[in-house]
Amino acid sequence: MSAPSCLRCLVRPSAGVTVSSLPRSSPLAVARAAPFSTTTANLRPKKEVQTGGAPKGHVRSGKMLQLGKFKKGKAGDRGRTPAPGERKAYRKRITLSNDNAIPVPWLTDLGPADLANPANTARIMALPTEVQDQLRASEAFKPTQCWGMFRKPAVLVRKETIDMANRMQNAADKRHTLRLVVSGDKLTGKSLMVLQAMAHAHLNNWVVIHIPEVQELTTACTEYAPIPNTDPVQYMQPVYVLKLLQAIRRANEGVLSKILTVSAHPELSQSMPPNTPLLALAGAAKEPDAAWPVFQALWSELTAQGANRPPILLSADGLAHMMKVSDYRSPAFDLIHSHDLALVRLFADALGGGLRLPSGGAVIAATTRSNAPRTPSMELALAQREAEANKGLGGPSSSGAVEVPQRDPFFRGYDDRVEAVLRSVQVLRVRGVDKLEARALMEYWAASGMLRATVDEKAVTEKWALSGGGVPGEMERAALLTARI
Amino acid sequence: MASPANLLRLCLRPSRRLPNLGASAARQFAHRRPLSTTQWRPAPTPKSPDDEASEKAVDDELEKAFKNPGEYFNSLISDESVSDEERRLAQRMLEDWNKVPPAEQQDIEQLAQDVTKEAAQLRRPVFVKRDSFWHVDEPDQDLITDEVGEDDFEEDDIMAMAHAKLEEHREFREYARIAVWEMPLLSKMAKPFEPPTEAEVLRFRYTTYMGEFHPADRKVVVEFCPKDLPDLSEAQQLKLKKLAGSRYNPERDIIKMSCERFEHQAQNKRYLGDLVNKLIETAKDPTDMFEDIPLDTRHHKFKPQIKFPKEWYLTEERRKELEGQRKQALLLDGQKRTEGALIDGVEVIQHAMLHAKPVETVPVLRRGQRGRR
Repeated sequence: MSAPSCLRCLVRPSAGVTVSSLPRSSPLAVARAAPFSTTTANLRPKKEVQTGGAPKGHVRSGKMLQLGKFKKGKAGDRGRTPAPGERKAYRKRITLSNDNAIPVPWLTDLGPADLANPANTARIMALPTEVQDQLRASEAFKPTQCWGMFRKPAVLVRKETIDMANRMQNAADKRHTLRLVVSGDKLTGKSLMVLQAMAHAHLNNWVVIHIPEVQELTTACTEYAPIPNTDPVQYMQPVYVLKLLQAIRRANEGVLSKILTVSAHPELSQSMPPNTPLLALAGAAKEPDAAWPVFQALWSELTAQGANRPPILLSADGLAHMMKVSDYRSPAFDLIHSHDLALVRLFADALGGGLRLPSGGAVIAATTRSNAPRTPSMELALAQREAEANKGLGGPSSSGAVEVPQRDPFFRGYDDRVEAVLRSVQVLRVRGVDKLEARALMEYWAASGMLRATVDEKAVTEKWALSGGGVPGEMERAALLTARI
Repeated sequence: MASPANLLRLCLRPSRRLPNLGASAARQFAHRRPLSTTQWRPAPTPKSPDDEASEKAVDDELEKAFKNPGEYFNSLISDESVSDEERRLAQRMLEDWNKVPPAEQQDIEQLAQDVTKEAAQLRRPVFVKRDSFWHVDEPDQDLITDEVGEDDFEEDDIMAMAHAKLEEHREFREYARIAVWEMPLLSKMAKPFEPPTEAEVLRFRYTTYMGEFHPADRKVVVEFCPKDLPDLSEAQQLKLKKLAGSRYNPERDIIKMSCERFEHQAQNKRYLGDLVNKLIETAKDPTDMFEDIPLDTRHHKFKPQIKFPKEWYLTEERRKELEGQRKQALLLDGQKRTEGALIDGVEVIQHAMLHAKPVETVPVLRRGQRGRR
């Protein structure tokens, strides 16, 4: 590959070459031009004046102002430019293992009951391989998380995790629906709580439907179309739903293949006789046009009354995007409320309790702090639910009287539909980890060879304090992601 | 120089306490018509003709008496309108006058004439020249000396500036005397402070600039707490707060209003008092209690009172507790170290490097390198 440039090197005039290759008569010629001079002689041979024929290029070439916009591209090999989408794929790639990391000997895989067992508090446990695949299929891992630093993906079992898993288990046992919003400060591990919920669901053979980023649904970046015969008009998002169906299919392959349909679905183009596995139904959509009816059919099968269905976990990340007016426009050029998008409406109904899951399950949504539109109604409703829960407990604060925040009567931006959805949800506030959990985390890092320090109480307390009281993301920043080796 | 009029002037001059003739004369400016194209004529005086006549008669009489006392006394004696007593007095004075030698009589008459002549200038009204630049000819009233002829030193007195300095000194001493002798007497007038009673709910604030004129000295501010107002129910108090709008401070629970609309403090205060009465009256009016309107506090920014948490104070107990915790942590670490459960990142890496399988270099067949291009 280096041949052309080497050839160019040979062609390019260099000082030595020029001097040595000069004809002997040329100094004399120079001397004739200027017999005595204090400046160096211009040794470059003069161009021969063209006589006759049209002059090449512009008359004043070389003296013309060349603006950057019109400058001709520099000759030279720039190498291959990345193909469209390649840069984004590199940015968004998810690496789940690092062969250079040291395997941690005591690491055990998660079992079905492990996440609900209080004995596992402050333990790091690995995700089993099949769960990894399932989670990867439904895009539960995010590129900002540090999975790529360790031998295999593992999660810290926190008190909140055990609390949530127990709530999920209780709901499934009683065939109720757990409606939970995971809230908390930046980097406290809200998305990881959702991931753990999904892992728990997969381990216990639930059906998991996960919306990895709600903003993909409401920021008008995917196609939409009105659903006929709906009043008020609802909108489907066929391309996204097709993607979601494929994700559901891959993530829940084992469970769906065991469930059989109870009714024929004449509205679908393919014939689906009863007692077809749901996996086939989910795979019936090959094109976006068919995606929404297939999704509806799948949903009706999953929530069929009387049939023995597994519990369902509906999870989403980035709840605020769901609780705002979307960026889509109706034919009258009015903004469409997010809850008029059919898929979002299904999730919101389930979260609000309007849509019951007959075999029980959970609806878990996590808020985001970094990429979230301002949603005063959601913030207020979550604060209210939290205050009410604290009041029910008798109030953890010493003052005793927990005041439920009320609407500001002079503020206009509240949304009644949002408040109706969030009227009866439970709120799980995720805070920083305690020192025991922090120690488990740091020991895992050190045992993986990612933290070159002795993990004693001093180091743990230092990082714990540095990270604002054990905020896990900040602890990673303080200990794991620093370049100090 | 030695004229009697000049002598009189010299006698008068050291006594600066006397009203300054020049200054008093200069005050009568004819300012009536600053711009006019017609000749000035005095307005017809509203005085009664009797007054005018009597004034003129007095002036004439004075003039006569000073010009020629002998003739004046004679005319007085021959006058029938005067009383006998006055006539007798005039008779006696005429006899005295006649006793004065004629030369002296002449001198006195001359003196009278001179004084009149000298004083004529002063008595003449001074007009400001119409076309003078910035009224340069107008004497300045604010100066401590009259600038008229103050630079001509006649070797019989100190300079005008020195007089002014002396005057200043006198003023200092006057105030010093007041401070020493009179001010202590003020303590007799002192009253003990009485805090406002329950009935006095309005608190007024005034501003004084110690007698100087200031545009803000008329301003009056009133503050009151709606809770303090007698016989107002809760609902009425709330309505009062809503009526007060942005004048209500929800943090201090105080309504504060001010007025500087009128010229005098008393007027402003009266207006505020009336306004408060009107507010209370409206708040008590049950026709519309504004129940549908929430109390608006958008104008007020609530400042969170941040205090150092009590739990963070490093008391003796807390110190002991922390020490205990540290000891416990050290014990825990020591125990782990002896057990070999303490994890050291560096050791882990070294151990892993030692026990790592050596990477076997597998020969790889590289094909098609040459033939590709």
